[in-house]
Amino acid sequence: MKLFRSMRLFFSFILVLLLFSCKKDNEIVPVDNFAFRKPSYFPEPHYTFQNNALTRSRFNLGRDLFYDTILSLDNSISCASCHSQTHGFSDHNVAFSAGVNGTLGVRNSPALANLAWYPSFMWDGGVNNIETFSVAPITNPLEMHETIFQVVGKLNANAAYRSKFKAAYDVDSITDQKMLQALGQYMAMLISDDSKYDKYRKGTYTFTADENEGYSLFQSKCASCHTEPLFTDFSFRNNGLDAVFADLGRGLITQEAADNGKFRVPSLRNIQITYPYMHDGRFFTLSQVLDHYSTGIQSSSTLDQSLTSGIPLTADEKLKIIAFLKTLTDYTFMANPDLSEPVH
Amino acid sequence: MIAFAIAGLTFTSCKKEEEETPTATASVGSVSINLEHKWEDEATNFTLNAEYIHPVTNDTLNFTTMKYYISNLKLKKSDGTWWTHPESYFLVDLENESSTKLMMSNVPVGTYTELSYTFGVDSTRNVSGAQTGALSIANNMFWSWNSGYIFLKAEGTSVNSSTGSYSFHLGGFTGTNSILSTKNVVFLSNSTDVVVTGNHESEIHMITFPDKLWNTSGSVSNTNTIHMPGAMAKMMANDFSNGIVFEHVHN
Ligand code: HEC
Ligand code: HEC
Repeated sequence: MKLFRSMRLFFSFILVLLLFSCKKDNEIVPVDNFAFRKPSYFPEPHYTFQNNALTRSRFNLGRDLFYDTILSLDNSISCASCHSQTHGFSDHNVAFSAGVNGTLGVRNSPALANLAWYPSFMWDGGVNNIETFSVAPITNPLEMHETIFQVVGKLNANAAYRSKFKAAYDVDSITDQKMLQALGQYMAMLISDDSKYDKYRKGTYTFTADENEGYSLFQSKCASCHTEPLFTDFSFRNNGLDAVFADLGRGLITQEAADNGKFRVPSLRNIQITYPYMHDGRFFTLSQVLDHYSTGIQSSSTLDQSLTSGIPLTADEKLKIIAFLKTLTDYTFMANPDLSEPVH
Repeated sequence: MIAFAIAGLTFTSCKKEEEETPTATASVGSVSINLEHKWEDEATNFTLNAEYIHPVTNDTLNFTTMKYYISNLKLKKSDGTWWTHPESYFLVDLENESSTKLMMSNVPVGTYTELSYTFGVDSTRNVSGAQTGALSIANNMFWSWNSGYIFLKAEGTSVNSSTGSYSFHLGGFTGTNSILSTKNVVFLSNSTDVVVTGNHESEIHMITFPDKLWNTSGSVSNTNTIHMPGAMAKMMANDFSNGIVFEHVHN
């Protein structure tokens, strides 16, 4: 029952059998209209599946790829190695992730949720599209260390993938475009909207007194950057971690000194589960994060204006904000069988 | 209580895409842009894996890679309207001779006075997700960490470089670092108009000079690597794209 309930909460299935008398070249006719569901209080999504109409078989293919080590140089790691469902699709509570041969990356693996609403990806916003996104981890020497050309070759040499791509995209030969589009579909369907906070928004949960006070404090002290309901406004800001920047962040992308030390405001969905925190995973607990905002802000030329004197918080207020942050944990999402590693 | 599935059976009919009716006189022909690559002057052919002395910097350069994007070809009809070549993306790669001919087929018959083309890949395609053909990411002309196409790659070896090699990856499609540029060629400036008659290929001949890359930017002893957008990439790309010259039309 629980399984069906969560499935129902996540997807609404409408199976429509369409019979066409003719077919447009290349464009496969979706036989199952498997739907993208926008929660009513979410804004319009950024990714709209344009030229990549959502279907069950394409989503399933994207999921297969996400969990398959075939995307890495030595078939040792998959996307899921660093983005684990039970950890809110972040890494297993480590600051830096191990790529092929165990080489460590330089930034913390972010939690993945509601990516269809993201206008840009990465801590520095360097990637502009969910479809082209996967090129970055596949080709990064510190991550999967492969080439797109090689991956496409490996997939084409695999009969099971050939038939899955044929079924999903009606192609006889697998191309990088279709591989990236399938991965894009899976990622765009990582929708987290069943936390206590969401139930509160839907009117099916009442906050406890602490959660409610924490919510008010959050709205007045944090929401200017961590804006509801996605808990980010997607802007790039310096929240005062360092006076001298080891990682220039957004400045690496724009080449503007005014962007040095700025990072995209991260979403706080599933934040209780996805420690350690910040782009370099420096804080292991939420109370360390709140101590940072109240007494640890480091001054620098790009520090966000609103943080110049920190965010004054009493010990009690910190506890209440943490109580609220824990309402963002979505166990339905982290246990949703539709998003889990497929059993073959 | 699961609204599990709503199975509907829909019969949809659609019209066959309009087929072109074959007529006695063909209504379309083809036009090609033929790019020749030269070093310094029109007398010196440029190829990969050969040594050249740079006319401005005196660097000795031996290219292993030279490739770049040309896109969005358009032809101006004698009545002033433009014909737009659909899906117009070309990766010119000196490793592959056939890529130096940019073919436009199904060009309506008529007289054309002007060509317009873009050096690089328009900003739309830089943000529109996974592409195919010349824009496939498997062509290795895409920056993954700072999304966008690499418009030009020039790589090779040089005794003047401190590392013995050079690698210039030029790109950038937004803001001040954009190196996109659209060029117009008026055929009468140097030749005759393009006359498209059915079942025939008209040729536009142009010359690209890879040496232009370093005309302002200077020796590879100062900078031997560029792998991101920026002021120097812009300087090199501008010199390169401004240096592509129109030769003649061959109808
Ligand atoms: C070795 C660990 C590792 C692997 C493997 C990996 N990632 Fe990541 N992922 C990271 C790290 C670290 C970041 C943050 C990088 C940055 O911002 O510079 C990241 C960022 C992301 C983001 C951006 C999230 C955001 O908030 O902007 C997405 C989406 C993502 N990864 C999906 C994938 C997919 C899909 C794959 C497989 C094709 C994959 N990752 C493989 C470690 C990994
Ligand atoms: C001025 C904008 C701003 C304000 C206000 C702000 N934050 Fe942040 N927050 C950020 C930025 C930017 C980051 C990422 C910084 C980095 O990693 O370099 C961040 C990171 C975080 C993280 C770590 C997230 C992760 O996935 O690693 C948490 C938790 C957090 N903030 C909580 C809060 C709370 C709670 C408040 C209110 C007390 C708050 N923030 C106020 C901008 C802000």
